Amino acid sequence: MTSETIISIENVFKRYPVGDGEFTALKDINLQFKRSEFAGLVGPSGSGKTTLLNIIGSLDSPTEGRAMVLGKNISELSHRESAWLRNKHIGFIFQVYNLLPVYTVFENVEFALLLQNIPADERKKAVMKALEWVGLADMAGKKPDKLSGGEGQRVAIARAMVKKPEIVIADEPSANLDAANTHAILKTMKKLNEELGTTFLFSTHDEKVMGYLERIVHLRDGYVEQDEIISPKSMTT
Amino acid sequence: MKLAFQLAYKNLVGAGLRTWLNVGVLSFSFIVIIFYNGLIDGWNEQAKRDSIAWEFGHGQLRNAGYDPFDPFTILDGHGVLEQKQAENLTPILIRQASIYPQGRMFSVALKGIDANQTTLEIPTQALRESTAAMPVIIGKNMADAAKLETGDEVLLRWRDKDGTFDASSATIVQVFETNVPTVDNGQLWISIEKLWEMTGLQGHATLFVANEKYQPEQIPGWKYESQTELLSDITDIIATKKVSGSIMYLLLLAIALLAIFDTQVLSVFRRQKEIGTYISLGMTRAQVVGLFTVEGSMYSIFAMTVGSIIGIPLFTYLATKGIAFPTASASRDMGVAMAERIFPVFGIQLILGTILLVVIAATIVSFLPARKISKMDPVQALKGKLQ
Ligand SMILES: Nc1ncnc2c1ncn2[C@@H]1O[C@H](COP(=O)(O)OP(=O)(O)O)[C@@H](O)[C@H]1O
Ligand SMILES: [Mg+2]
Repeated sequence: MTSETIISIENVFKRYPVGDGEFTALKDINLQFKRSEFAGLVGPSGSGKTTLLNIIGSLDSPTEGRAMVLGKNISELSHRESAWLRNKHIGFIFQVYNLLPVYTVFENVEFALLLQNIPADERKKAVMKALEWVGLADMAGKKPDKLSGGEGQRVAIARAMVKKPEIVIADEPSANLDAANTHAILKTMKKLNEELGTTFLFSTHDEKVMGYLERIVHLRDGYVEQDEIISPKSMTT
Repeated sequence: MKLAFQLAYKNLVGAGLRTWLNVGVLSFSFIVIIFYNGLIDGWNEQAKRDSIAWEFGHGQLRNAGYDPFDPFTILDGHGVLEQKQAENLTPILIRQASIYPQGRMFSVALKGIDANQTTLEIPTQALRESTAAMPVIIGKNMADAAKLETGDEVLLRWRDKDGTFDASSATIVQVFETNVPTVDNGQLWISIEKLWEMTGLQGHATLFVANEKYQPEQIPGWKYESQTELLSDITDIIATKKVSGSIMYLLLLAIALLAIFDTQVLSVFRRQKEIGTYISLGMTRAQVVGLFTVEGSMYSIFAMTVGSIIGIPLFTYLATKGIAFPTASASRDMGVAMAERIFPVFGIQLILGTILLVVIAATIVSFLPARKISKMDPVQALKGKLQ
């Protein structure tokens, strides 16, 4: 495992126009994340977690400052380049799973690979492997509405992981899950983090999730309150 | 692009009832458009065929003084052609006359025609073969209107060369069936030799009908109208029919397109999260616009499929069996030949044209709402918060 910095947030501000004035959602954020970190943004609702994750995921860009992800300046990417970055290198896991309802589990997981024009047999192998990681290989043919919440989120994990991205962004992934499912998905993600070296970035205010994190960045009102290393794995290597 | 089609297909099939409603209305428009135009085209072809066979031949050489739309020109609009110039031409001399079946008066165009002619289908051999003193033939409509039958005698009154009235009893030797109203309604056919005798206009003709061997030439005092020129009136009348009929099916098409437009507007609004998800999975906004547009145009492809399943057997049946028009004789009053049974013609041009029209229209109405996606903020889309 290398200690290469793959995400670098430098003096980032995010402001939204509100009425006549503006609202500052992120205030002078400076953070670095290294490859294979298992880290989380923690803070109360409205503290800017989602905003920061969206910038790292190149869905959004900073109003001021620089966000470097995998060597790319997010603000300078064209639509096509940022789509390519998300497609190849960034997996998203959402609070509400966001599975595509008309597709089967298999097709949901396959989607990113379809966009990459990967041949069918390779796609199939990769999808089945990803479903095995999350223990849902036998659900491949089901439609999302036939799944329980825990299963839905595991499909979302498989979908994010199938392309073996460098970074997975998980915005409050446990918010709709019970304790057992929360532990199950976090164990799965931790295992993938260790086996594949994928960087995981969470946002959460769930104590159970925090228990798995190796690093917790506390956000409050849009600024970093505390950057806390819990387990030194990512720091020592 | 292939991906967009695959995804669009899944989305549409996944959307269930709404998809099939849109497809249903659209395929109905498809069928109606093709049916209506096929019917008109069939009528057009038939009308042209009939008019050529019964009236126009391969062209007409008309006396310059004669205008078929002005009955007052009949009196003087006639002349004589040299023997050589009249080759391959069937002479017709028109005179105004009246008949008095059961005491009622009917004004008629008394048309003298070469009884040996074979250019037109008018059964002139009946005039040749009859032993009656003054044999005439009439069409079925005329016979119905004047309540005349084969074998009836009717009083005929005409003007002779001095302009004085002459009268004699004519015998209806045949009633013929034709779809061409202009050789039927108000027309009385007689041998031209007989008419020459009756009027003293020996060798005169109002017009000549050409056969296929005729080579048109400039003859002073005469005006040649080619077959195409003669048919252009029919083409015009039928084109008008086509336009007036198109209003009906364009309305139907508009309803179908509106339904697709509506579905698309709703889709773009309701599927924000899905749009955000596509973008998070690495689609560009342009690709998502493409996907939604393809979804919309795919309605037309589905509709084509459904339309073919219903349309191919239906149209094949209609094209071979024809469609009965019991009111055809009423339509003949408009002056265009119309058969009791019309065989629609579903040409490749009509079918491809309709497909193109529907696919392009569906694509446009799908693209217009989908275009909004390109301005969407993916973050807001994922939150489902866009208005
Ligand atoms: N488009 C926007 N316009 C205005 N304010 C926004 C917008 N997006 C987010 N905010 C505000 O920014 C703050 C941070 O939001 P967010 O990052 O979603 O917080 P968290 O994920 O920590 O709950 C919130 O106060 C939110 O209301
Ligand atoms: Mg949030």
